[in-house]
Amino acid sequence: MKFIFKPAPHYRSPQSTSSIMRDLTLCLLAVSIFACVYYAMNYGTEVAMRVGIMLVASVVAALATEAIWFACTKQNVLEGITSSYGWVTAIILTLISSVNVSYYGLIICTVLAILFGKLVFGGFGQNIFNPAAFGAAVLMSTFAGSNVDVVSGATPTVAMNSFSWMTSAENVNAIMGNYGGVLNMFLGQYVSTMGSTCAVLLLLCMVFLIVRKDIDWQLPVFYIGGVFVLTLLIGLIKGAGFNYALFHVLAGGVLFGGVFMVTDPVTSPVTIPGKILFGLGAAVFTVIFRLRSNMPDGVLYSILIMNMLTPALDKIFDGNQIKNASSILKKVLIGSCCFLLVGMGVGAIAEVKEGSVPSASGSSVALDVDVDFGEPISLSKDLATYKAEAEEVSNDGTTAVYHVTARGFGLLDPDGIASHTGHEYSRNEADITVDVTTMTVKDIELTHFGDTEGIGDIATQEGVLNGHIGKSLDDSIDCVTTATYTSESVAAMVQAALNAAAGN
Amino acid sequence: MSFLTGPMHHHLDGHKDLTAHKEIVTLTNPDVVWIPLINGNAPCTPLVSVGDTVKVGTKIAERNDHFYLPVYSPVSGKVVAIEKRMATTLKNVDHIKIENDHQNTVDKPFGTLDYESASHEELLEFVKNAGMLGLGGAGFPTYAKFTNPENVDLFIINGVECEPYLTADYKNMMENLSLLKTGTLALLKLSKAKKGCVAVKEDKKDLIAELKKTFEGTNVEIRTVPDIYPAGWERTLVLLLTGKRYDRLPIEAGCILNNASTAIALADALVNGMPLREKYVTVSGDGVKEPHNVVVTIGTPAHDVVEACGGYAAEEVKLIAGGPMMGNSIPNDQFVIGAPVNGLTVLEYKPVKEVKCLRCGKCTETCPSGLEPVRINSAEKIKDIDTLVKLDVNACIECGMCSYICPSKIDVTEGVRRAKRYMALKK
Repeated sequence: MKFIFKPAPHYRSPQSTSSIMRDLTLCLLAVSIFACVYYAMNYGTEVAMRVGIMLVASVVAALATEAIWFACTKQNVLEGITSSYGWVTAIILTLISSVNVSYYGLIICTVLAILFGKLVFGGFGQNIFNPAAFGAAVLMSTFAGSNVDVVSGATPTVAMNSFSWMTSAENVNAIMGNYGGVLNMFLGQYVSTMGSTCAVLLLLCMVFLIVRKDIDWQLPVFYIGGVFVLTLLIGLIKGAGFNYALFHVLAGGVLFGGVFMVTDPVTSPVTIPGKILFGLGAAVFTVIFRLRSNMPDGVLYSILIMNMLTPALDKIFDGNQIKNASSILKKVLIGSCCFLLVGMGVGAIAEVKEGSVPSASGSSVALDVDVDFGEPISLSKDLATYKAEAEEVSNDGTTAVYHVTARGFGLLDPDGIASHTGHEYSRNEADITVDVTTMTVKDIELTHFGDTEGIGDIATQEGVLNGHIGKSLDDSIDCVTTATYTSESVAAMVQAALNAAAGN
Repeated sequence: MSFLTGPMHHHLDGHKDLTAHKEIVTLTNPDVVWIPLINGNAPCTPLVSVGDTVKVGTKIAERNDHFYLPVYSPVSGKVVAIEKRMATTLKNVDHIKIENDHQNTVDKPFGTLDYESASHEELLEFVKNAGMLGLGGAGFPTYAKFTNPENVDLFIINGVECEPYLTADYKNMMENLSLLKTGTLALLKLSKAKKGCVAVKEDKKDLIAELKKTFEGTNVEIRTVPDIYPAGWERTLVLLLTGKRYDRLPIEAGCILNNASTAIALADALVNGMPLREKYVTVSGDGVKEPHNVVVTIGTPAHDVVEACGGYAAEEVKLIAGGPMMGNSIPNDQFVIGAPVNGLTVLEYKPVKEVKCLRCGKCTETCPSGLEPVRINSAEKIKDIDTLVKLDVNACIECGMCSYICPSKIDVTEGVRRAKRYMALKK
C-alpha cells in the first residue's frame, strides 16, 4: 500500500490544453476542407491540390522546425512537439494566405513564425506575438513578389481598398454585387485568403469553441462586434449604408481573425476586462488601418499591435476583481470610450471616394498592376487617327466576332519619341465579341500587343479590358493615365467592332 | 458574477451517487481511541493524566487561549498514553490514547437545556460548555459567533456540502431531521435574527421535501442554491442567498452561518445532554472498494474506517482527509477522525502531466475570491512582493478551483499557497 502525497486539490477538470487544441484543430480542418472543396469546384482539382499541399508543407515545416529546436536544446523532441502545438500556427498561417502564395515563401514564413514568433521567446505560452500573424506579416511584406498566378481575381478587400474603404452606399453594393451579394459572401463563394471567406462556417466554429469553453466569448464578440458597430456608425455618418458595416465584417480577415487569432489565449490578456479592451482595441485598429493605411486589410497588424499591449492590459487590471470592481469598471469605460472616439474620429475625417466600380462578369479579375484611371474615353469620340479596322470573323445573328487592329502609341509617334527608342512597334490586334441584340461588347481578348511593354500593357491587362464588357457606343471606358494612347487604341478597336456590328 | 468578472464558480461532477443512497455503516465502540489535542491550529491542554479513568462525557482537555473549547471523551475507559501522532494538518500533535472498557458509563457534564425558555446568556453558556464547534471542516468554536449578535437579518444553516464525493451532511440531515430542527431553532434564537434558512443544493429533491415538512410552521425557510462549487463557502453562500458581499465577517452582511451537522450536534447536547462523540464520515472515491457513509467514534484511525468500507481498491492511492478540493492528502492512514473531519476521499493515484501555462485566464474567471491565480503564480516565481500585495494574495481561501480548472494541469493553488507563505515570511 502506497500513500501518495500531493497538494490539494486532488480533482481536475476533464478539459485539458490538448483538448482545447484538438477542438481548435478540428475547426481549422473544417475551414481547410471548405477551402479545398471551393477551389476544387471552381478552379479544378489542381488548385485544390495546391491548397492541400500548402497546408501539409506548412505543418511539416512547423513540426520540423520544432523538432530541430527541441533536439538542439536537448529537450524531449516528441513531448516538446506535442505540447507546443506548432501545427495550429501552421494551419492558421496557411489559411490567412492567398492561394497564390509560393510554396517556398509559405515554408520560410512558417519557419520564421515558429522560430522567431514563438520558440525564441521560450516556446508555447511565452510568446508575445501571435506566431501566425507574425508569419503572415512577413509573408505579405517580404514574399509578395514570389506569388504565382494560380487564381486571378481581386479580393473584396483589394476592390474596397481602391476606394480607401470609404465610398458611397451605391459603390459598396456594387462591390458586394461583384462577389454575388451578401448571401454569397456569407457562404464564402469568392476568392480571398483561403480560410477567411465562409462566414457561416467561421461563425459555427466560433459557437462550437465558445460552447466547448475553448475560447472566451468576450474576445470574438467584442472584436467582430466592435468592427461592425464602429463601421455601422461611420457608414451612417458618411452615407455608406448598412451594407458597408456588413462588408467590413464579411470581407477580409475579421471573422477568421476574430475566431482563431484574437482568441489566442497566449497573446491576449488574462482578465475579462482586459479581454474586452483587447477585442475593442483590435477592432478600432482594424478599421483605422483599413481607412488610413495602404494595406488592403488591417486585421493582421491590428492583432499584432494589440499583442504588444497585452502586458499593459494585464497590468492595469491587476488586483482583486471584486474589491476593485468600481475602478475596473471605470478603466473599461474610459478605455472603450477612447478607442471608440479615435475610431469614430478617423472614420469621420475619412474622405468618401467617388468613382465607378469596375463591373465583373462572373468572377472578378485582379489587376496585376495597380492603375490610376484618368478622364474616361467616350466610345463615340473621334478616334480616327488610330485607323482601327474591323474584320468580321463570324456572325450568327446574336453574337458577332470581329478581328480588329488599330495603331498604337509607337505607330502614331506623337512626339517622335518612338523612332528613337529602337523598339519595333506594330498595330495592336484584338478579337472582340459583340452581342448584336444589345449592341454591347461581350468579350474582348488582345491577340497582339504592339506598344511599349511595361507602359502600354498596363492598359491591356485583363482586369482593365474586362471593364469594356457590357459597354455600348453610348458609354465611356476607363483610360489608364500613364497609357493614354494604348487605352485610346483599345477604345478605337472597340468602337470599330461596335460600328461594324451596327453595319456602319 | 458580473459582466466583468466571469462566473466565479463552476459546476463540478460531484460523484455523490457513490454514497448518497447507500446504507450507513456503523463503526462505533472501538477498542482504542486517540483524541487529537488540537483545535484549528491551536493546541489544547490535556486535563487528564495517564492511568485516569474516564467516562463518556468526561472533560479530558480544553483550549483556553482567546477562545474556550472543552474536549470530552467519546468513550469510557482508561487513559493509557498521551502520545504524538500525525494529525490531518500533517503536523505531529499530542493525542490522548484511551482504552475503551465498552461499559459506556456516562458522565453528563453540562446537563440538558430547554432552549425555548432559556435566556440568550444561558443558551450561549450552554453552547460554550458543550464544546460545540464548526463541523463543516473549520472547527471554529460555535459560541464565538454569537457573543454579540446585532442586526442579524438572516441566520443560515449551511447544508450545501459543495465538496465532490461528500454526502455526510446530507445523510446526517436525512437521518436526524428532528434534531436538525431543534438545533436550527436554538441557533436561530441565539443569533437574534429575524428569520432563518436552511440552504441545500437544488438537486437534492428528497432532502428538500423532507426539510420543508420538518420546518413547516417555523420562521425557517428552505432555500436552494445551484449545484456549483464553492456554493458552500460562506462568502459565496451569502452572495447567493442575499446578493451581498462582505469584507471580513458574514455579520457585516447581516448573516451568521452554521453547518447543519453542528446544529444536529447541538440538539443532541440540548436534548440528551451528550457531547459530540460520533461523526458522519463519507468514505468515497475510486480508491476504496465499497464507498459508504460511516458513523465513526471520534478518535478512530482512518485505517479502520477504510477497512470498514472494504479496504483500498488500488496499490497507489491518495488518502484525503475531507473532500478532494480542499482536503489534505495524508501520507499514511494512521491519523484519526477528529471532530472537523467529514470525509475520507480515497482516489487511485493517476499522475497528471503538467504542460506550460497558456494564459487562458480560466483561473481568474472562476476564482470565487476574484483573484488572478495565474498572475500570482508568475509574481511568486520572481518573488515580486509589491505585485503580490497588489494581487491581494491573502484573500485566497485555497478552495482549489484554480488548479481544478487549469487546462494545463498546473498546481496553481499550490503556487498561491507558496505566495502566501512567502508573504507571511516577509511581514
